[in-house]
Amino acid sequence: MNRNTFSYKLRQILMFAGPGTILFFAVVVVPFIYGLYLTFTSWDGVSAHKPFVGFANYAAAFSDGAYWVALGRTAIYSIFAVVFINILAFALAYLVTSGVKGQNFFRAGFFVPNLIGGIVLGYIWKFVFNRAYVAIASAITGGMAISPLSTTGGAMFCLIFVSVWQYAGYMMLIYVAGFMSVSDSLKEAAMIDGCTPSQAMRNVTIPLMRSSFVQCIFLSITRCFVVYDVNLSLTKGEPFNTSVLAAMHVYNQAFTYKNYGLGQAEALILFIVCAAVGITQVMIGKKGEVEA
Amino acid sequence: MASLSLQHIEKIYENGYHAVHDFNLEVEDKEFIIFVGPSGCGKSTTLRMIAGLEDISEGDFLIDGVKMNDVEPKDRDIAMVFQSYALYPHMTVRDNMGFALKLRKVPQAEIDAKVDEVAKILDLEKFLDRKPKALSGGQRQRVAMGRAIVRSPKVFLMDEPLSNLDAKLRVQMRTEIAKLHERLGTTIIYVTHDQTEAMTLGTRIVVMKDGIVQQINSPEHLYNKPYNLFVAGFIGSPQMNFLECAVEKKGADIFLDMAGFPIKLPADKAEAVKDYVGKTVIAGIRPEHLLDGRGKEKDFCTIKAPIEVRELLGAEAYLYFTLGGKQCTARVASDVDLYVGMEGTMALDLNKLQLFDKDTELSLLWKEW
Repeated sequence: MNRNTFSYKLRQILMFAGPGTILFFAVVVVPFIYGLYLTFTSWDGVSAHKPFVGFANYAAAFSDGAYWVALGRTAIYSIFAVVFINILAFALAYLVTSGVKGQNFFRAGFFVPNLIGGIVLGYIWKFVFNRAYVAIASAITGGMAISPLSTTGGAMFCLIFVSVWQYAGYMMLIYVAGFMSVSDSLKEAAMIDGCTPSQAMRNVTIPLMRSSFVQCIFLSITRCFVVYDVNLSLTKGEPFNTSVLAAMHVYNQAFTYKNYGLGQAEALILFIVCAAVGITQVMIGKKGEVEA
Repeated sequence: MASLSLQHIEKIYENGYHAVHDFNLEVEDKEFIIFVGPSGCGKSTTLRMIAGLEDISEGDFLIDGVKMNDVEPKDRDIAMVFQSYALYPHMTVRDNMGFALKLRKVPQAEIDAKVDEVAKILDLEKFLDRKPKALSGGQRQRVAMGRAIVRSPKVFLMDEPLSNLDAKLRVQMRTEIAKLHERLGTTIIYVTHDQTEAMTLGTRIVVMKDGIVQQINSPEHLYNKPYNLFVAGFIGSPQMNFLECAVEKKGADIFLDMAGFPIKLPADKAEAVKDYVGKTVIAGIRPEHLLDGRGKEKDFCTIKAPIEVRELLGAEAYLYFTLGGKQCTARVASDVDLYVGMEGTMALDLNKLQLFDKDTELSLLWKEW
């Protein structure tokens, strides 16, 4: 068989890369391009006719005050959630790699919230905040406590809290892999060199876990920027639309208000913002990254 | 520099595994001590207990008379070179070497001066701004050594530092370490499973097996006067030949029946086995003490066996043959014209013959270390 012919090479390429390429185009590239096309129309999401409106949707998106408020709120939510998710995940990873008894059980246990879908998780915590918390707080104070979900700051706090609860276990696994990639001999060398445990952590372990930090921060940023399910089931944007995050605003724009083109344009802006933040963070984080 | 004292050291892990049994050793200042033994013999565990990386289950460990059992590794004033070198991959060579001094808050100018001085000794000046990833194995090994030297510790601990290097570099670095010991006059404890490293570097060697010290002596002493069968077999390459021999008395002389060849023992050896007449002992003879015996039958006791394999190493050749069902090796000059298929006649240098009790495996010649 002549392996240098074009047809042989083409067959090889199609056989190995073909299925993946087709799938990637079908579920990523084509929907993205179609979505891009829809941003130039005033489609209502239902009718067969999609009137071309040029950049009108983008102009409308830039002048949509509620969208930018939601985006700003998403940024604040993301900053707090990303920070706390990563702090908690790192602490949990440290705990379950420190040789504590039953560490495999704890690893599995901390990961479980990630297995529960965001919608279900939102409803569970809605019950906790609205019923359990209120009952317990009322019993303790002797008065009539109100649910934190019914206050502006409280709803945002609950959103951040539940997101941290949901994602910390997942990020923990990445940090666990990071901890385990730092060889024991390096930690021992640090101890012999004169490090206290905290100095060894600061000077040796953490710098060598840089790739874990980059991955976890990227994943948590991208997830937080587009969070919708927990937002819907936990607060539904309430009270008074003060907990509407960007993804929920985009959804409402497209499906509730039937402005599909505008919603799509706002979704694209959200994607660009999210990608820009994520890629910038990865580029900064990757500098000086070394293998443990 | 310092003297070390290990007194009745035991290491028992939580799962009950007894890794080190009653380890006793007094290390004088500036000694180069080698822990040698097969994998799992407890040599690295003992070194790690000295470093403070493993707890000591029982016994006392002292540096300069001060008990160190519960002292943190950082406070023992020791430096360690790891098998994997354990260089911090995110730091440059300069930072790696100066890290311990930085932790001790030594002024930066002083750290730089010290690092430059040691880098000069180890020929690392060109690599100071590189990261470990950009260095070869030998260079990394030198950086690991440099990191230890910079600190001027009381004791250097080295855990198989040459085992990741290729054969040629290993020989080169072995010489470098020997020179360094001479130059710095430091106390070094060095772990290896390579008996050649042990023999060439150590002032004293601790031979271990199954967590138990077999013998502690100078390389020459271990080679010439092995205390038991294990030490005799472990030290020396190729390994000593062992043959089970019946002890027979013929008149005033005592003979060994070595696979059918009667070997008349000299007076000192005969004295050692006089109580074993009618019994079996294990005779040990090193390959280099088996000579080409052709024409020497009158002066030497000889054995004969067909040569099965001949390995030419350059200046010398190994001849393999079977005697009494046991594989034996003779180490002869490469110009000895004995080849595969020929009947080899081997003369025994009986002054070098070792004799062991078959049951206890202890030497019948050397009752003490």
